[in-house]
Amino acid sequence: MYQIAIKMLMGDRAKYVGLLLGIAFTAFLVTFALSYFAGFMTRGFALISENSSADVWVMDPAVSSTEMTINMPSSALGRIRSVKGVNYAVPMSLSDITARFPNGHFQTFQMIGVDDATLAGAPVLTDGRLPEVLHTPYSVIVDPGGTSDKLQTPKAPRDQWPFDGAHLDVPTRGLAFGDELLVNDHRVIVAGRSQTIPRFPPRPLLYTTFSNTMRLLPSESRRLTFVLAKAQKGISPHQLAKRIQQQTGLRARTTADFKEETVRWYLINSEDVGDMAAMLILAMTVGFGVTGVMLYMFTYENLKQYAVFKAMGASASMLMGMIFIQASVSAFLGTGLGIGACAIIGESVRMTLDYPFRMMWFTPLFGVLGVLIVSLSAAAISARPVLKLEPGAVFSGR
Amino acid sequence: MINKQTKIAVQCRSIVKTYGSGASEVFALRGVDLDLYEGELLMLVGPSGCGKTTFISIVTALLKADSGVCEVLGQDINALTLEQKVLFRRQSIGFVFQAFNLLPALTAQENVAVPLLIQGRNRKAAMHEAKAVLDSVGLGERIGALPSELSGGQQQRVAIARALVHRPKLIVCDEPTSSLDHKSGQMVMQLLRHIADQSNTTLLVVTHDNRIYHFGDRMAHMDDGRIIKTEMIQEKKETSE
Ligand SMILES: Nc1ncnc2c1ncn2[C@@H]1O[C@H](COP(=O)(O)OP(=O)(O)OP(=O)(O)O)[C@@H](O)[C@H]1O
Ligand SMILES: [Mg+2]
Repeated sequence: MYQIAIKMLMGDRAKYVGLLLGIAFTAFLVTFALSYFAGFMTRGFALISENSSADVWVMDPAVSSTEMTINMPSSALGRIRSVKGVNYAVPMSLSDITARFPNGHFQTFQMIGVDDATLAGAPVLTDGRLPEVLHTPYSVIVDPGGTSDKLQTPKAPRDQWPFDGAHLDVPTRGLAFGDELLVNDHRVIVAGRSQTIPRFPPRPLLYTTFSNTMRLLPSESRRLTFVLAKAQKGISPHQLAKRIQQQTGLRARTTADFKEETVRWYLINSEDVGDMAAMLILAMTVGFGVTGVMLYMFTYENLKQYAVFKAMGASASMLMGMIFIQASVSAFLGTGLGIGACAIIGESVRMTLDYPFRMMWFTPLFGVLGVLIVSLSAAAISARPVLKLEPGAVFSGR
Repeated sequence: MINKQTKIAVQCRSIVKTYGSGASEVFALRGVDLDLYEGELLMLVGPSGCGKTTFISIVTALLKADSGVCEVLGQDINALTLEQKVLFRRQSIGFVFQAFNLLPALTAQENVAVPLLIQGRNRKAAMHEAKAVLDSVGLGERIGALPSELSGGQQQRVAIARALVHRPKLIVCDEPTSSLDHKSGQMVMQLLRHIADQSNTTLLVVTHDNRIYHFGDRMAHMDDGRIIKTEMIQEKKETSE
């Protein structure tokens, strides 16, 4: 009988293909939306990903993400280094600065100050130079951070630092090695460009050393945003985080936990994320609705055939089985198609358009589960009229 | 055929059935008394809306009567549980519908095999028997055809093969010829007549079509929810051909 159910399903080519495409579309929509969301969230914790060698992130007790931060006193670094089980600990400073370009334009950057000694967290330069270039005082590495055309400097030397006011509408080129910027009345030298993980929200980045940030920022005792600690052999990141927290009164989180916290922070605090989530939910609702209705209609249109089975002595469980087989076969094939298409299209837009698309393990799973649940519920709902079928339906003329 | 009319296959007494309630209440059956004998072909005729379909639905345990007794093939239909009714239909009843009701996605052979598959027979055996029955209705050449590739008369013969394949004791046909042209209708009735003659199967044929009345052994006239007259049919087609 199940073979017959499948034949019934595939017998009407046009309807079957329509059904499959509908389900594929839903699976695609859901998976794509979630992957897109995952992509954004991944960008949200880009800073943590960049510093994957750190086991534990230490921060002010009130901080719970990389996005909204407040600094700790510089003395915190020493206190953390003295906790037993810390292999090494390096400082990191985050600050928002406004830099002026040679022609008078300006741009807000996130300045990331990394440890002078190890340069841990400094990015790889696109021209192959080593991050050691940062050891030169006032040198910085610029990074688009997911933005485009924001790192432009005038082409012609006469448009650079002109004496007759700003030269705003002049031809520009991308910042490169040797170019200069003005940060808080200090000239900084671009030591190179990098292309790290794009940020969410996008923002240009300025990487430099911790000591350079001290030179560039107004003097203040609190410059230490995070301390990144590495555990000694034999102690787990969790244990170390707990120990640091207990002994210093600061907040310490393992890398994995801090990523999760940052995502949660975005989910709760970011309006952009809220808007995005609302859109996603809308898309999913529409997709699931379409799938459900299509499956229901499919069974409904076959009501007559089920009536015949019923008259001929097919039991209720047999009929239910047939409907569920039809629903699950179309659900599986449809989601397969949809998720396949999603992977191909998603990966290609990610690579060509630098799109925040990340198909994590759970995104197709949600797609499959979602479609399956919807399909099976639609099947259950459409089974009702089949089971309650009047004999009139069996004998009625047409 | 008188010699066949000894054992009773269907015995109905005072069957009452109403649809709806209150102002919209419809009396479909107002006390139907009717017997069918084993191996006979009974024509059930009557004007539209008189309750024919309702009656055969009750006989085949698809519908529950409000009151009255109906014994079919020795079973009191009212006393059966839902599961028993399903089993009863599965084993003892064959259906032929006005609109054929073949499954469009299945070949003739697969369509005929369906009742056996419902009984839980394996596919190979079911298909084998389906072929044999299709041979016997003269469609041995078209076993792989889809319903859409067959004429109306051929489709109805496939449907009859489907009603036969599990060797039911009772075959119920609701207007089997009204979707067919005269010639195909005659062929279909000859086939049903042949089944009644060759086996002990009882056939109940509902019809409006007076050109096929003579294929029956007896005719029961229904009007306004009652059987008003039953009569023997004298001239048989097979003798006049
Ligand atoms: N499900 C139903 N609900 C309400 N009334 C019904 C229902 N089925 C049938 N009826 C009514 O019951 C009466 C008998 O109907 P039935 O279908 O048994 O007649 P019939 O003799 O088969 O008619 P026809 O020759 O047109 O097929 C009719 O008046 C019909 O309108
Ligand atoms: Mg009728």
